[in-house]
Amino acid sequence: MNVPPIVLDLKVASSARRPVHLWLPLFVLWPLALALGLVALAVAIVVDAVLLLVGRRYHHYSLLLVRSFAAIGETRGMVVHFSNEKTAVDMTVQ
Amino acid sequence: MSEDRSRILNMLAEGKITAEEAERLLDALEARDGASTTSGEPAIKGDPEPLIAALPKYLYVKVIAVNGDNVDVKIPIALVRSGLKLTSLIPSKAMDQINDSMSEHGMSVDFSNLKPEDIDELVGTLREMEINVDAKNGDNVRVYCA
Repeated sequence: MNVPPIVLDLKVASSARRPVHLWLPLFVLWPLALALGLVALAVAIVVDAVLLLVGRRYHHYSLLLVRSFAAIGETRGMVVHFSNEKTAVDMTVQ
Repeated sequence: MSEDRSRILNMLAEGKITAEEAERLLDALEARDGASTTSGEPAIKGDPEPLIAALPKYLYVKVIAVNGDNVDVKIPIALVRSGLKLTSLIPSKAMDQINDSMSEHGMSVDFSNLKPEDIDELVGTLREMEINVDAKNGDNVRVYCA
């Protein structure tokens, strides 16, 4: 797993509106995401244990949560650019 | 076991490379080993990291339409792999809804049948894929890895 995304850079330019440039320091959210993630993981582990004891086939919520975080971590380096005659959108995850 | 071979296997164990990439590197190693027995040259000189670094890391999708719509997307291949692995953990009921919704939009792909080994193979194949579409109306679509 890579280092989670640090910065989200979003630029929206439109002929009808003022251009918007958002520079979001995602690293500021890391501690909050970690805290929420740990709480969610604890809940998911309990849910999985209960589902396993009850005999349900699907009991992988904790793994699903971990893999979701891993997928978010891999978004670093993603670039999306869209433009047409009226609008241009640039999004970079660094 | 040679040093190069154990280094590749270590990188596989640490998750730095996929099984597909490890297989390719080991094949390359064996091929060079075979050549080296006749030429007396060493198999791989130095670190195999440059070989891994040379593998494509991003999937590019570029659309240039004559009506002025342009799309340029760069997706890390690691994200594609993670996303595909994630699909194998989605509950079956939710997966059925996703599959139904996708088939309604003309994409009949059953992600519930994807196995981890299939994902590695799929991503490995994806690295070699290149799609170029030049439509009659002048639209141009390119999908490739680099």
